[in-house]
Amino acid sequence: MKNIWKFMRKNPALVGLLGLYAVLSILSDRFLTISNQINILRQVSIQAIIAFGMTVVIISGGIDLSVGSVFAFSAVVMASIIKGGSVFLGILAALLIGTLFGLFNGVLVAKGRMQPFIATLATMAIARSFTLVYTNGMPITGFSKAFRFIGRGEILKIPVPVLIMLGVLMFTWYLLRKTKLGLYAYSIGGNEEATRLSGVKVDFYKMMFYVISGVFSAISAIILTARLNSAQPIFGQGYELDAIAAAVLGGASLSGGTGSVIGTFFGALMMGIINNGLNLLNVSPFYQQAVKGIVILLAVLLEKEE
Amino acid sequence: MLLLMKDITKRFPGVLALDNVSFDLKKGEIHALVGENGAGKSTLIKILGGIHQPDSGKIILKGKEVKFSSPLDAMMYGISVIHQELNLAENLSVFQNIFLGREGKNPWYINFKDLEKKAKALLDKLGFDLDPRTPVKDLNVSEKQLVAIAKALAYDAEVLVMDEPTATLTEHEVERLFEIMKDLKSHGVSVIFISHRLDEIFEVADRVTVLRDGKKVGEGQVKSFTRNELVRLMVGREIKDMYPKYNEPTDEVIFSVEDFEVPGYVSKTSFEIRRGEIFGVAGLVGCGKSELALGLFGALKSSFSKMRLFGREIDRIKSPLDALKNGIVLIPEDRKKMGLILGLDIVKNITVSNTNTVAGLINIYWKKARKMTQSAVERFRIKTPSIRQLVKNLSGGNQQKVVLSKFLFREPKLVILAEPTRGIDVGAKVEVYNLINQLANEGKAVLFISSELPEIVSLSDRVMVLHRGVTTAIFEKEEITQENILKAATGVDVA
Repeated sequence: MKNIWKFMRKNPALVGLLGLYAVLSILSDRFLTISNQINILRQVSIQAIIAFGMTVVIISGGIDLSVGSVFAFSAVVMASIIKGGSVFLGILAALLIGTLFGLFNGVLVAKGRMQPFIATLATMAIARSFTLVYTNGMPITGFSKAFRFIGRGEILKIPVPVLIMLGVLMFTWYLLRKTKLGLYAYSIGGNEEATRLSGVKVDFYKMMFYVISGVFSAISAIILTARLNSAQPIFGQGYELDAIAAAVLGGASLSGGTGSVIGTFFGALMMGIINNGLNLLNVSPFYQQAVKGIVILLAVLLEKEE
Repeated sequence: MLLLMKDITKRFPGVLALDNVSFDLKKGEIHALVGENGAGKSTLIKILGGIHQPDSGKIILKGKEVKFSSPLDAMMYGISVIHQELNLAENLSVFQNIFLGREGKNPWYINFKDLEKKAKALLDKLGFDLDPRTPVKDLNVSEKQLVAIAKALAYDAEVLVMDEPTATLTEHEVERLFEIMKDLKSHGVSVIFISHRLDEIFEVADRVTVLRDGKKVGEGQVKSFTRNELVRLMVGREIKDMYPKYNEPTDEVIFSVEDFEVPGYVSKTSFEIRRGEIFGVAGLVGCGKSELALGLFGALKSSFSKMRLFGREIDRIKSPLDALKNGIVLIPEDRKKMGLILGLDIVKNITVSNTNTVAGLINIYWKKARKMTQSAVERFRIKTPSIRQLVKNLSGGNQQKVVLSKFLFREPKLVILAEPTRGIDVGAKVEVYNLINQLANEGKAVLFISSELPEIVSLSDRVMVLHRGVTTAIFEKEEITQENILKAATGVDVA
């Protein structure tokens, strides 16, 4: 019994998830169907991928508020290039933009010694502005079938976005568990000074963490653009907060040093299920934010108990 | 009798921290509480200070049973605890700290003028030379200590608990602190004094209580004990030699540096280290010896005209990575701040410093890392239930051993040990001294920096002394005495 309680406190996201499954499968007979479950995963994949990158940054003691704007800018630039004829170059451009903005954040934080919150807040504003200027505020729509496959296609009945999300999940898990970059994320978040004195190139790795976050935003932007067959300049608004919430629900601490990408996945899933469940139950969408907020508070309180 | 803690038992998950311990305190006495790390001193103090509640046993204050459910509770009864981590608000001024939480009854207005005046009166009464308006962050460690004492006494404390107050103070400041303690005593304040330094206990305390493994193993007038008896009680076995020394110095120079400078901290100095010797560096707090270590290791900006290590010329050390690549390691003085990642386990702590051997360009070889950690745990006798234990759950001595072990796998040529015994118990200290001897005998250049004169005097073959960043002396073996070092450290001309 004691062990169960301990497990619950250690994994608030997983426990919340199971609780939501139990409640929703009783309240709605459509909830537990396979098609609805796949639907949830597909909806979650966009936010989850961003949240995975955010998790790496948060573990290292930082934060990245620019993910939503970088998402939008890479989406619109990619969209215009695809309209110009090359899907391949478009995707490449999106990934490049994610990398460059990540690097920019990384340089500001690691070399410029700026606080991550402020540095990425500035980047958030800049990237959003670039997006609006680039598109003149207009959406870019209508792409080839091949490109739309990324957002709408299925392989073995599993949606492509879900497969990409699972791929990024495994990749991030591997990074955090098996590589120096992952270990250093935890150690820099735990004690930057001690890590530096251990001979680690702290600045280089800090930059890498932000690059990962930027690239993941771009990957996510590719999926959503393909799915909606449209890139909108207002894409990604508020995504940074969803990503942070997923990471925190998954056990990451904003002071750094702890967190896991599996936890973040559960956190993102939880938020997706809340949306889905409330829709199924015909609850007004106006309530969704409040329910999410309350769930976050409960999860964090549960963790604090320890 | 002022205070009696009777049959106190306290259990934490997995450990019996206190097992039926009784402790009594008379009015106006200085009572030393000693024991190794993990003996239960801190737990006892935390129960007295209202941070922990005992599982059984009672606290009797002036004949009445009392229960402290919070630190504020304990303070209201006149018990003030000065913890090792002074717990001051760094950005507030001295007087704001002294009266923090008791600024007055009016919730809409603080009369800062009045508080400042009261603080001034208190500081004057105590004879502390502090400006009440100075921000605490601008004070040095010993001045902060004075603020903490003033803050504790502002509550009209009858019992003052001081947890290792001398660990970061200089000799002179310790003397001053002892005067203050004796003065408090003569005003009827009782002091509970925790220290790892036996000299201090014999100098200032009236009575002593010894704890070991959560049990009380001795109590009585300090005068009735000898040093060795106290050590035996604390450690549970005889320690024949507090300062083992069996290194074999030679004349062969293996490390030399010329015109070494750390701008703002250490003025140009040149010195050399010989094979097999222990080269000590002494000086008062703030003399630049900590910065000398950080500079040599590349963690602070430094420069030199020439540096040779085992015949090889080193042209620059701009970062800790440079230093490590050249075979220089630093065992940093503040293990929690600079040495360890407390929230990670032992394996990960050791791996972070050894990715050159247990990781490729990208991947970490965890199997190899665990093996390395296992051998570290065995070699340094780190007491831990598992190598996956979080470092923050280890005792101070064991934490220090993790710090020592994490750098020694790099096959260093020059080992800089900065205050390697600070805040660890007698048994662990002896182990560190043994290790220093072994390092010297293995042919490594050993630079041993310490503020504790007895260990510097006993272990070093030569001692360099700094005073305000300037090298005032380099003593040969036969000139090494506490007196000579103190003179040089305070800038008295000895030549």
